[in-house]
Amino acid sequence: MPEINFTVNGRSVSVNTYPAKTLLDVLREDLDLTGSKECCGKGECGSCSVIVGDEVVCSCLILVGQIEGEEIQTVEGVGSLEQLDPLQVAFLECGATQCGYCTPGIIVAVKAYLEKLNRIPTQDEIKEALAGNLCRCTGYVKIIEAVAKAAKQQFV
Amino acid sequence: MRVSEIAMVTPKTVMECLMYLSNRGQDARLLAGGTDAIVQMKEKVGRPKIWINIGKLDELRFIREVGNEIHIGSLSTHTELANSKLIRSRASVLAEAAERVGATQIRNMGTIGGNIATASPAGDTLPALYVLDAELELQSFAKKRRIKIADFFLGPRRTLLQNDEIITKIIIKPMQENEIGIFEKLGPRRAQAISIVNVAIKLSMGSKARQCLAGKIAFGSVAPTIVRASKCEAMLTLGLLTDQHIEDIGKVAWREVSPISDIRASAIYRKDMAGALLIRGLYRLMKRWEDQ
Ligand SMILES: Cc1cc2nc3c(=O)[nH]c(=O)nc-3n(C[C@H](O)[C@H](O)[C@H](O)COP(=O)(O)OP(=O)(O)OC[C@H]3O[C@@H](n4cnc5c(N)ncnc54)[C@H](O)[C@@H]3O)c2cc1C
Repeated sequence: MPEINFTVNGRSVSVNTYPAKTLLDVLREDLDLTGSKECCGKGECGSCSVIVGDEVVCSCLILVGQIEGEEIQTVEGVGSLEQLDPLQVAFLECGATQCGYCTPGIIVAVKAYLEKLNRIPTQDEIKEALAGNLCRCTGYVKIIEAVAKAAKQQFV
Repeated sequence: MRVSEIAMVTPKTVMECLMYLSNRGQDARLLAGGTDAIVQMKEKVGRPKIWINIGKLDELRFIREVGNEIHIGSLSTHTELANSKLIRSRASVLAEAAERVGATQIRNMGTIGGNIATASPAGDTLPALYVLDAELELQSFAKKRRIKIADFFLGPRRTLLQNDEIITKIIIKPMQENEIGIFEKLGPRRAQAISIVNVAIKLSMGSKARQCLAGKIAFGSVAPTIVRASKCEAMLTLGLLTDQHIEDIGKVAWREVSPISDIRASAIYRKDMAGALLIRGLYRLMKRWEDQ
């Protein structure tokens, strides 16, 4: 089996596995990073969202062979228990999580979104940006509130 | 074939890729953004022996003006198309279509080449490419050819592409000062939805109010391939595009399309919606033209 090298959350890793294994399975099974979740497995729900380079993508539809040399950021790389990312603080303060299954994917998607923002977004823009992340508890109102709060903080 | 048995090669140049294809074309399949190909791999359809990962072919990632054409590298993603200044200003109908594909994650991954090669009757960039008179450049190790997009599609998921060829670029005609375009799509929800019907419209406007000098209309998801609505197109120039005339054009749309019933919608619903989307698109275009 080939050796595949890439960076996860700033750390260089190398895994020996078959190249058509999904990045999601490699993260969870080979690298023990179980923050990213599998839900639909076909790109519709966003639970497996990770950042490759500077763009959010679905790790369930990427094969590990495709990411040789790439830089990956997962939810484990967004803040830590000791030092939460301001975005995570906003989620806590707004109560923007229920069962929590979709939360890692949403945090990652929002992280990528906030990094590219150049002004405070409207509600509709936030909804559009997160249209690829489903929450089956349907806690969207608080999620959108939390994103709006985090976005505002970025510009004060 | 088990997923764990599938090999992968990652060519560094287009030539290297074409060499693989000419040797192993039968066993190999190109992998770009993977948003169609990997879903299919998981569903156990279209599992190749080897993935040819073309994601690193930066030669195929460009959007530029060349003479009086716009050239789009086949690896350009929907996000890149939607954000491109050139596409937004000179081929806005394509930017609008790309913006309506899937959701952020899918637009970041999915490429225009993949959207074309998948040849789904519902592919969202396709009607836009039809009204922009797109041509495709197909390249194999031995030769290059350029063909009109309408000639490329043979049916749902069937194209002229040979198994030693790749789509290298898409060539479109930029829109002129007096041209306006719009893309409309109907799906079960706004994001992440395969089109039940979609339509792209491009009009050349005259100097009189609501005077249309020529126009192109292409529907998706209502026939085995994209269809140009030639009767509706002919009506565009028969009179000024008054609200009444727009309604009349919309009424003719059902004669242009031959949809099937499937799990997403019935044929009759699709016919009705084809007309409704066309009317909505024309109204919105007139509003934009008048507000300009
Ligand atoms: C959740 C979800 C939502 C979606 N929503 C939409 C939508 O709203 N509208 C829409 O139109 N589509 C949608 N799609 C489908 C898909 O995202 C698009 O068709 C996308 O453009 C495919 O591009 P890709 O790069 O991912 O192709 P891939 O999956 O990499 O490839 C698809 C096919 O094209 C071939 N191919 C790829 N590149 C080339 C090339 N350069 N030359 C020759 N052959 C090539 C591959 O061999 C393969 O057979 C959606 C998909 C998912 C998973």
